[in-house]
Amino acid sequence: MTTEELERLLVEQPVELLHRLARGRVHRHFRAGKRRLIELLLRHSAENRQGFESDLLALIADRQSHPVGPAARPAVERPRAAAHGRPHPAHHEPEHHESPVALGAWLEGIGVPPPQPFVPDPWQEEALAKLQQGDVIVSVPTGSGKTYVAVEAARRAMEENRTVIYTSPLKALSNTKYTEFCRIFGAERVGILTGDRRDNAQAPLLIMTTEILRNLLYDAAGGEIDLRLDTLGLVILDESQYLADPERGVVWEETIIFCPSQARLLLLSASIGNPHDIADWLTSIRITPCYLIKHSKRTVPLRAGYLHPDGKLTPLFRTVGIPHGHPNYLHPEARRLFARYEDETMPSGRRR
Amino acid sequence: MPPSIHPVDLIEALRQKHLTPAIVFLTSRRACDEAMESFDHTRSFLPPVRQEAIGTVLRQVIDQYPSIAEHPLIPTVQRIGVAAHHAGHLPSWKIAVEELMRHGCLDAVFATTTLAAGVDFPARTVVITQSSIRKARDFTDLTIGEVQQVAGRAGRRGKDLVGFAIVTPSPYIDLGVITKGLTGQPEAINSQFVISYPMVLNLLKAHPLDQMQAILAKSFAQFQLNQRAEVLERKLDEIHRQLEPYGPRVCTDWISQWQLFDHVRRQRTHRTPMRRHEPPEVAARFHFLTTGRVAGLSKSRGVVLRQYRSKGQKSPMVTLLRPGGAITECPAAIVTEVFDHVLDCVEAPVYPWCTPDSIEQLLRELEELPPRLPVLPILVPKEELIPDAIVQTLGDFSCPTCPSRSACQKDHAHASKLRQEQQRHTKAIQALRTSLWHRFQEKIDALQRFGYLSPTVQLTETGEWARLIRIDHSLLITELVRAEAFSGASPALLAAVMSSIAHDDDRPGAFPRISPGLGSLLAQVRKLAESLSPFEDPPLLRADIAAITEQWIGDPTLTWIGLCKKTTMAEGDIYRLLARTLEFLSQLHGLRHTHPSLAESASQAIATLRRGVLEELP
Ligand SMILES: Nc1ncnc2c1ncn2[C@@H]1O[C@H](COP(=O)(O)OP(=O)(O)OP(=O)(O)O)[C@@H](O)[C@H]1O
Ligand SMILES: [Mg+2]
Repeated sequence: MTTEELERLLVEQPVELLHRLARGRVHRHFRAGKRRLIELLLRHSAENRQGFESDLLALIADRQSHPVGPAARPAVERPRAAAHGRPHPAHHEPEHHESPVALGAWLEGIGVPPPQPFVPDPWQEEALAKLQQGDVIVSVPTGSGKTYVAVEAARRAMEENRTVIYTSPLKALSNTKYTEFCRIFGAERVGILTGDRRDNAQAPLLIMTTEILRNLLYDAAGGEIDLRLDTLGLVILDESQYLADPERGVVWEETIIFCPSQARLLLLSASIGNPHDIADWLTSIRITPCYLIKHSKRTVPLRAGYLHPDGKLTPLFRTVGIPHGHPNYLHPEARRLFARYEDETMPSGRRR
Repeated sequence: MPPSIHPVDLIEALRQKHLTPAIVFLTSRRACDEAMESFDHTRSFLPPVRQEAIGTVLRQVIDQYPSIAEHPLIPTVQRIGVAAHHAGHLPSWKIAVEELMRHGCLDAVFATTTLAAGVDFPARTVVITQSSIRKARDFTDLTIGEVQQVAGRAGRRGKDLVGFAIVTPSPYIDLGVITKGLTGQPEAINSQFVISYPMVLNLLKAHPLDQMQAILAKSFAQFQLNQRAEVLERKLDEIHRQLEPYGPRVCTDWISQWQLFDHVRRQRTHRTPMRRHEPPEVAARFHFLTTGRVAGLSKSRGVVLRQYRSKGQKSPMVTLLRPGGAITECPAAIVTEVFDHVLDCVEAPVYPWCTPDSIEQLLRELEELPPRLPVLPILVPKEELIPDAIVQTLGDFSCPTCPSRSACQKDHAHASKLRQEQQRHTKAIQALRTSLWHRFQEKIDALQRFGYLSPTVQLTETGEWARLIRIDHSLLITELVRAEAFSGASPALLAAVMSSIAHDDDRPGAFPRISPGLGSLLAQVRKLAESLSPFEDPPLLRADIAAITEQWIGDPTLTWIGLCKKTTMAEGDIYRLLARTLEFLSQLHGLRHTHPSLAESASQAIATLRRGVLEELP
């Protein structure tokens, strides 16, 4: 491999692979961005070129044989990754019939909607209705309005004289929700529990982190009832995609496994790939079935753009909205500008 | 061309296109702070109305959290309408920025991706400058789910008709990760179930041992393992179907039989003459395999009806009566155990080598034997072992003259491949079904070894209190308590050690010096942590980190600003360190029934620790 070939190969690799390659070679490599990392790796490769190349090839082979997550990504929108080293114009995509969206059209419609009376979305109503029959998991995009479901569900449970526990993964989020719930229900009806402090622990609506709830459930199971778990009617686990957190995910599992059977579970989660599995799992271990409320349509439509360092703005994709399932459907202008960016910022000595 | 757009230009471009308010996600806290500093030399000023609006909101927040009244960033924020929000800030400052954003007072916030998770912090536009984030000390590409969480902050319900996710390149970007993230389906989530010591202790406190497997079976981990097992089971069914034409022939297990025959046949072509030899334990056992002897086989038992040596090679053979009545001729080597138990039997000179009445009697007795039988101790003379296949010789096989020979020869390769696959899958399924339980048992073993669990897997007196410690490094902490490492230690020392256990970041910095007392206590803790390392990963146990806590608790007159001046650590990090220490201390306080003086010391440390900034939030 010539140095130029080696460099080109490195450029084609995802940054994650470069970091793996850099382990033990480049000090504090995780501080470096892709461009800098390639520079450092090239510099290092001089020490033991053969070993370096064989490690790189092994990593690439490994990645191809076990495509996981982002690794499965096809090599895309890198016109210059092609063999001859000359930037190609945007001819990788099949011919598109509609012409790419113009900047003006893409920017159209910015603004503030007229005030409207609050009407719950159908999925919100459905989640609340299903909660009468069993546990519910809600998996909808960020900013859809999961809090409304939590608040209404809590209100209904409290009206039936049942206590409610709301958990979040972060103390910061717990504090925000505490303020918000105090405003909605009145401070005397809301309590917050942390590792070393209990404010209004006898309130019907308690906020805590998931770890604290897990510990309460341990104590209850061990016979030291410490809160009124017998009247517990509803447990809300916000941000429950944390189930997949490598360090803390187990706490969500334990909480769900040990949740008293008379209490309903309401899991609120951002969009995840396998919400059905979670629902099936809950159904298999709880006495009531678990219903899945899921949609992936954003309430406020999202558009994607590309801003060049010189200040030029262009749509990122050919379409106004996000072309789901078509990552390569790039706007030709964005493609051109990004190729130029990469050319100009790559380590020196690249072809001109 | 610069590697990325200048922050001032970026904000200007967004303002021009009415794309504010925006959240600009940057790679590091440093990048956020530098972005803020880059406004120092601009002459952009917000109109006075907007400055006043910011002042009003800030005053409200300061009323609640006085610690931020003097925050050095206030003038900048008020002047330019832009703020930074990252983990290096105090929670109360972050709340102030969130509040400003919620009131629409800011045009932009520079933030790290930690903001993407959970904090209710929407904007019209999100600017993405990176495609990887630092996780567990390494950078990894953003997942599709993460890209969508980040981009999803754009577009406020009720405040925006559309939201924008704008990518601007920096050396940290791989555009492919982002376009795939924006257009793709989020990843499936996988269970991250780990079995910890406190989990085992608390489960065993509440439930008997024989329920543990059922409880573990309720985990999402097992649910997903079962899904994988089911896939294999379907494959297994398919293999089973494919194996149907290869059922019993003249010999029941013709596949093994042929394999062995084939093997021996090949061996012979290589090395003649073959040495007749039997493994010493077979030879030793053979003496005891007399009529009526109960013998253990790999999966069942049998009664020996006669013993003999094979015609050609004189290898040891037995005729066995098996449960169900089958009578088989086998090499003596298939006997795995010789039981100290002989049944009565009336021998006969020809097949089946004893009277029919006697066989019925034997069968009944065989079935009624207790599950456990004493094994006959047999002294085996030491001698090197020789593989079975070599012991066998062609003369022991009837294959050459068998009517099924050609069929066996033809089918063997395929059938044996299928059977190997079958065995592999069966093993894999077994492993998937039992792996959690095995991991649980490993923890039980360790807990028994340390005396938290009795040999009968009950919580010991020590285990009863140790289960109350439910934080990371629980084993180290409970062992320290048992070793009375803290007896006589001041609340400041106790808290300092706890914070060095709690802190898991290895970012370097300049910190205050530690006292000699803390130094020697930490040395002791380090030694213990080292010795526990086969059972629990040791924490970093940084002395410089411990020193911060020691100073804060040792000197109750020390102010927050005073503490911050003693170290290069960011305010937010110090806050988090002390907040975590508080959590660890309150677990020690939970031991008040069994360790009153330790709990008292912890409680004093908590009281001193919770002052100033640390008192503001629950
Ligand atoms: N039916 C509705 N009609 C109009 N606005 C709504 C409706 N439901 C919720 N909202 C508003 O949508 C905004 C976002 O809601 P919320 O914070 O509950 O989202 P979320 O799903 O919890 O998002 P995240 O993933 O960030 O936690 C809030 O301002 C809320 O008032
Ligand atoms: Mg939410």
